[in-house]
Amino acid sequence: MGSMIAAPNSNTHRKNLIPAIGYGAVICLLACLPLIFKSPYILHLFILTLIYIIAAASMRFIMTSGQIPLAHAAFLGLGAYVSAVLSKHMGLSPWLALIIAALVSMCVGIAISFPFARLKAFYYAMISLFFGVGLLQGIESLGKLTGGLAGITSIPTLFNTGSKVPYYYVFLALTIISLAILYRFEACRIGWNLKAIDQSYLVSSSVGISEVKYRVLAVAIGCFFVGLAGGMYANYNVTISPSSFDTTSTLWMIIYVAIGGTNDFAGPIIGTAVLFLIPQYFSGLKQYTPFVSAAILFTVVFAFRDGLVSIPRLIRTRYQRKKVKVQTDDS
Amino acid sequence: MPEATILLIIASIVNALVLSSMYILLALGFTFLFNIMGILNFAHGAIYMIGAYICFFLATAVGINQWLAMLIAVAAVGLFGIFMERFAFRPFFGNINQIIVVCIGIITVLENGVSVSQGFIVQVTPPFVQGIFRVGIISISWERVVIFLIGISLLILVLLFINKTKQGLQMRAVAQDLEGAVLQGINVHFVSALACVIACALAALAGSLMGSYLSLTPYMGQDIMIKVLEILVLGGIGSINGVLFAGLIVGTLDAVLPIMVSGTATQALMMLIIIVILLFKPQGLFGKEVRG
Amino acid sequence: MILEIAGLTKNFGGLTAVSGMNITVNDGEVLGLIGPNGAGKSTLFNLITGVIQPTKGTVVFKGKDITGKRPHVIAELGIGRTFQLNPLFPNFTVLQNVVSSFQIRPRSNLFDTFFNTPVYRKNEAYILEQSLEILKLVGLYKVRNELAKNQPHGYQKMLGVARALAIKPELLLLDEPIAGMNPDEINNTIEAIRRTSQLGVTIILVEHNMKILEICNRVVVINFGQKIVEGTPREIKENPEVIKAYLGSGHDTQH
Repeated sequence: MGSMIAAPNSNTHRKNLIPAIGYGAVICLLACLPLIFKSPYILHLFILTLIYIIAAASMRFIMTSGQIPLAHAAFLGLGAYVSAVLSKHMGLSPWLALIIAALVSMCVGIAISFPFARLKAFYYAMISLFFGVGLLQGIESLGKLTGGLAGITSIPTLFNTGSKVPYYYVFLALTIISLAILYRFEACRIGWNLKAIDQSYLVSSSVGISEVKYRVLAVAIGCFFVGLAGGMYANYNVTISPSSFDTTSTLWMIIYVAIGGTNDFAGPIIGTAVLFLIPQYFSGLKQYTPFVSAAILFTVVFAFRDGLVSIPRLIRTRYQRKKVKVQTDDS
Repeated sequence: MPEATILLIIASIVNALVLSSMYILLALGFTFLFNIMGILNFAHGAIYMIGAYICFFLATAVGINQWLAMLIAVAAVGLFGIFMERFAFRPFFGNINQIIVVCIGIITVLENGVSVSQGFIVQVTPPFVQGIFRVGIISISWERVVIFLIGISLLILVLLFINKTKQGLQMRAVAQDLEGAVLQGINVHFVSALACVIACALAALAGSLMGSYLSLTPYMGQDIMIKVLEILVLGGIGSINGVLFAGLIVGTLDAVLPIMVSGTATQALMMLIIIVILLFKPQGLFGKEVRG
Repeated sequence: MILEIAGLTKNFGGLTAVSGMNITVNDGEVLGLIGPNGAGKSTLFNLITGVIQPTKGTVVFKGKDITGKRPHVIAELGIGRTFQLNPLFPNFTVLQNVVSSFQIRPRSNLFDTFFNTPVYRKNEAYILEQSLEILKLVGLYKVRNELAKNQPHGYQKMLGVARALAIKPELLLLDEPIAGMNPDEINNTIEAIRRTSQLGVTIILVEHNMKILEICNRVVVINFGQKIVEGTPREIKENPEVIKAYLGSGHDTQH
């Protein structure tokens, strides 16, 4: 993440080419997945993974400013419910409802964050926790509009075919675009300012960084994307219910981010993919998936302090150390 | 005033006192962990829950007397506290993200372990004390009285321990200044483990009693965790006095609000009240500087 | 007169940290605020820069009332500062610390920043160049790519000064710049301060080490939140009340 520091020269172009080819290859591979895996269930899992990747990445973005959004799943739910209600009860096009859901989520996020943005980041965590619980309760109690505990069914879908394939491709595109936008925010001065505030609000404010402005900005951007993910979920899954958006879900999103690696942009992507997909794949009984997830969790947290993304680096360091050892042995 | 209203008020007061005393015990243990180890033990609710279920299991499936079951649960969970301090907290000291992850892992294992083996149906531990205490038109079940008395006595015991015993003073020393305490030769690991044991034991006790007073579900831990955090924030982070007063407030609201408003809206209303209070007094009742 | 403090008072509950402080600071001078620990010097800085709100009194900077304004606004107006306990951005490198501090001049707007326009790139290149210059000025150029938290204490303090210079302040508040330094570092720091003053920056220093007097044009002595005496360094050194305050507190100093 040194785009701010690296001065452009001819080497930079070559250095930028290799990662670009790498990403291109990964994207091509992902685009081919529906051709390899024809089963609708597997496509369903991939689609859900994409939605959760957006949610996890947007959560991590907020976390770079030091704030922990303990209501993130509730915002996912907010996006889902707004999109569902707008498209089902008010007849809006699902695509439009999707965008509005993201915007509503963003505005609510700003409203929650702004009054408390001058306080220690811990307070945002607590406030958002309470808000998330309250929001979910509120959704459950507005039975007429939201179907209460049972949720909403027959939500108009984005596509009219029965196939999951168009959803996969569109969501893949949306995920890539969302990640690109989040990455850009983090790599430019805005992202650096967020990390600066996280490290020292005293120093940040003494050089002119307004901690209120940037904390609210972080939450606004994070909530926008998780609201979008929520809308995507609603208009794909046809049914939504409050139990998918409770505090436990938020805690699991934190796990996805932390296990993947909090300090790396790729962390939530890897964390979500591993912790969401693998347990689904390897467990016979649905009830035991949380145990598989917990096992992966404990293994990673004890073995890989910096998350899964640090594995390539650890391997490389150990390999280099071996090389040096061999060389010193020879001489 | 009509008789029904008087009875309602009395019942609410009793309920408020019982709930407050249990909440305070829980929040106190949680605050110890926070003050001494700097840890927000998100798994505290799960500990409460597992204490409740151990007591329930021993009292029903195994058939032991509830009091004995409770003591065993408290002892077992207290011992688990040593294990938690050594393996879950000590390795990740200072690293908030890792602690959160570990706590979530513990919660997951405990909650899903219970839900897989016991199911999601609501259960109730058999009452600890039978019988009703009558004075005039007022009738209160003895169980409520006993739970409240246990709560108060333990509260006093804990406060005495903190203020009068050598170990208690050591705990306060570590809470105030870790480096200074180390330099004074205080064994910080021992103090942390002790704090963990006390916190877990209190949680298990409260869980066992509440399992009979209210009921048991695998997710009761989450609900109680929210209450503990409410108390923490309302009272002011790290303040013992804050826990006492905020615990009373939260317990009272919990007892009174459901009478005035319907079920699910109660929680939402509580959240609203708390957020509004924090808007005006973010440091809580007894808290210190919160800018940052 | 670049800064004027009038009747500035701060009460924390029962404790009065600063009481009725009146100070004027002239353009381009180096003003020393001397006093024993607990005299209220850092509180004064915090009051000027908006970290805490005064109970009474005003702070006027370049004719504009800035009393109680938020810290980042004060920074935008041209007042920079360092901190006593010297917080930094510990996980950034030394260079990144300074680059991150260039928030005000130049400032790219949201559109340019996000879309990486030529305007943004030009600003960032300029910032990089200026950062390297500042690091050379304070002598940290060779450790520019090391993490800030791994630097020795003296370097960290210099980094604090470098950071404060990044906002191109007209007024620079240095809070105990030579505390905890060895004699070499002290000389380097004093030299850096002298050079900065020659660039036209007005400097207010807070110190309890009397060695700082040698670069001050004027000195104000503070104790118990109040101004005790004011004058040139020589006058202050010979003033009996000052000597009493220092001998009394037992804080002497490396002369």
